[in-house]
Amino acid sequence: MPHAPPLPSPLALRKLAVVLLLWSSLLGHGCTSTESGNAKTVLVTDDLGRQVAVPTIVERVVTLAPSVTELVFIAGAGSRVAGVTTADNYPPATQELPRFSALPIDFEAVLQLKADLVLASDQVNSPQDASTLAAVGPPVFFVGVRTLDDVMRGVLTAGRLLGTATRAAIAADSLAASIRALRALTDTVHQRPRTLVLVSPGTLYSFGQGSYMHSLIALAGGASVTEDHSSSAPVLSDEFVLSHLPEVIFVGAAAADDILREAILEHHPTFDVVPATVAHRVYGIDGDLLFRPGPRLVEGAWQLAARLHPDLVASR
Amino acid sequence: MKHAWWAAVGLAALLLASVGVAVAIGESLDIEAVLGALRFRLLGADGPVPDPVADRIIWRLRMPRAVLALVVGGGLGVVGAAMQTLVRNPLAEPYILGISSGATAGASLFFMGLLPPLLSKALTMPLAAFLGGLLSMTIVYMVARTTTRLSVARLLLAGVAMAALMGAVTSFVTLSSPDPDRLRAVLFWLLGSLHRATWSLLPAPALVTGAGLLVLLALARPLDAMLLGDDAAQGLGMRVEALKKLLIVIAALVTGTLVAASGAIGFVGLIIPHAVRSFTGVTHRRLLPACFFAGALFLLWADLAARILLPAQELPVGIITALCGVPFFLALLRRKAYEFA
Repeated sequence: MPHAPPLPSPLALRKLAVVLLLWSSLLGHGCTSTESGNAKTVLVTDDLGRQVAVPTIVERVVTLAPSVTELVFIAGAGSRVAGVTTADNYPPATQELPRFSALPIDFEAVLQLKADLVLASDQVNSPQDASTLAAVGPPVFFVGVRTLDDVMRGVLTAGRLLGTATRAAIAADSLAASIRALRALTDTVHQRPRTLVLVSPGTLYSFGQGSYMHSLIALAGGASVTEDHSSSAPVLSDEFVLSHLPEVIFVGAAAADDILREAILEHHPTFDVVPATVAHRVYGIDGDLLFRPGPRLVEGAWQLAARLHPDLVASR
Repeated sequence: MKHAWWAAVGLAALLLASVGVAVAIGESLDIEAVLGALRFRLLGADGPVPDPVADRIIWRLRMPRAVLALVVGGGLGVVGAAMQTLVRNPLAEPYILGISSGATAGASLFFMGLLPPLLSKALTMPLAAFLGGLLSMTIVYMVARTTTRLSVARLLLAGVAMAALMGAVTSFVTLSSPDPDRLRAVLFWLLGSLHRATWSLLPAPALVTGAGLLVLLALARPLDAMLLGDDAAQGLGMRVEALKKLLIVIAALVTGTLVAASGAIGFVGLIIPHAVRSFTGVTHRRLLPACFFAGALFLLWADLAARILLPAQELPVGIITALCGVPFFLALLRRKAYEFA
């Protein structure tokens, strides 16, 4: 792992802990403490601005989206996860956990997991579903990750809610350091290749205005061609791609680069003049590293950078 | 008779101009590039392609799409006219009477691999769509028919019911498939879109639509007679029942082929014959070609609107045609006694 960020020293850790204590007392939204039954709860504002009564001690947490599961695990609270969605596949420890369908939510299955708290993603889950669930069961807290910085914030939030704030702070710090290290490398590039990220080689699902994808590409030293697309989650027309002529195309699929290039050309024969296909710069990257707004986005950015600037960043 | 020729010349000019507009509008290309690509392709200029990117956009994306719009719109207009004659009512149309949805069910059953490819994919899908449309239309027709006459209310209700049933089949088949893009596939089949247009997709719909138009033109006089009513037509020595069966088969065949290429685009066959009749009158010799041209123009402009409304994305064109067609349909329903003449 080249350019791995340094681990924080013990002194830094202590400083961090102090900062965290201050932080959690200031920003911890610890507005009111209430007694409901035997469990103490605290009213906390979630990332959708909802007031959620969260138990002060959470023994069992259920996550409604894979990205949130990953935030919880990296925040050091993986052992409290009582169940995950059928889409979850990371970290490997999730394989052992009970599963339920999340789209649409299988309410009964979630209730049977007897969680103290449910964590949802504002990108995947609907507040209506959350109200339905909270009415009959545990409180639902929404974690919103819309930018790269939100990833670190999400880790800290998970740690704060689940009582692992210190470990979460270390993890968030390490992610931030990794981002800084990558930015230091890619800030120096002269050429930022025009880059297109596709969900699949067939239908041209991509990312438009307001998506974190563009800052991820910029961090990796590229220039996203869909940054100004008027729709936030567009299906691009063939014409759009032909008039923007991306130099590099990433497909979020675990397949060989050449197979993906062939698949793109099979579905879109006119792309034979697109620089990315001409120069064989179509790359497959594990979609979970790009499309899951969780901590592994940082790993995704490193992988993008390794393809965009192989001379600068070693492949990993 | 002379003004008919002028009308034909005018229509052809309008058609050409519309294709020109459809090909020029989209992601910005300078006019030089557009003209260069067209000159190269249409006039066969020597040398290499002037601008490979513009050539692909103009000649391989926009042009086949414009031509497909003409073929599908024209075909649906003609089939609409024939069906309105068949049931002697202006409310008939392949989409409303369930042919289109039957065709989508057939096509999607094949598309999802549930029907074996008999000949080749290019032929089997239209065939499956044709059989689906034929089945659906036959059921609707049988339900609507009483011993003495065809009940229009029953026809429309049966059509709506069949469309719902076949739409459910299409949705179920598509959603239960392993296709990662199944939601979008459902939208394609149920709302219709021209975004799959390529030159190689065009021959089947073009041939079948052309052949359908020619056969219907050859039947122009019997079709005129049918408007007078079954008894009158029989009195003129026509085999009315055979003609009706033939009309149903032609409608299912043309609609099925078009649906296989573009999904179920509704209401073109409703609006067009109605609008055209006020210019041409009811005689089929003039009505049918006019319906073809008017339908072609209408769908071309509808698709252009779909492309402009959501630029750089794909909006199913069936949304536009339904937005135009449904108010029209309701207005027709409100009318008390509709006469063809």
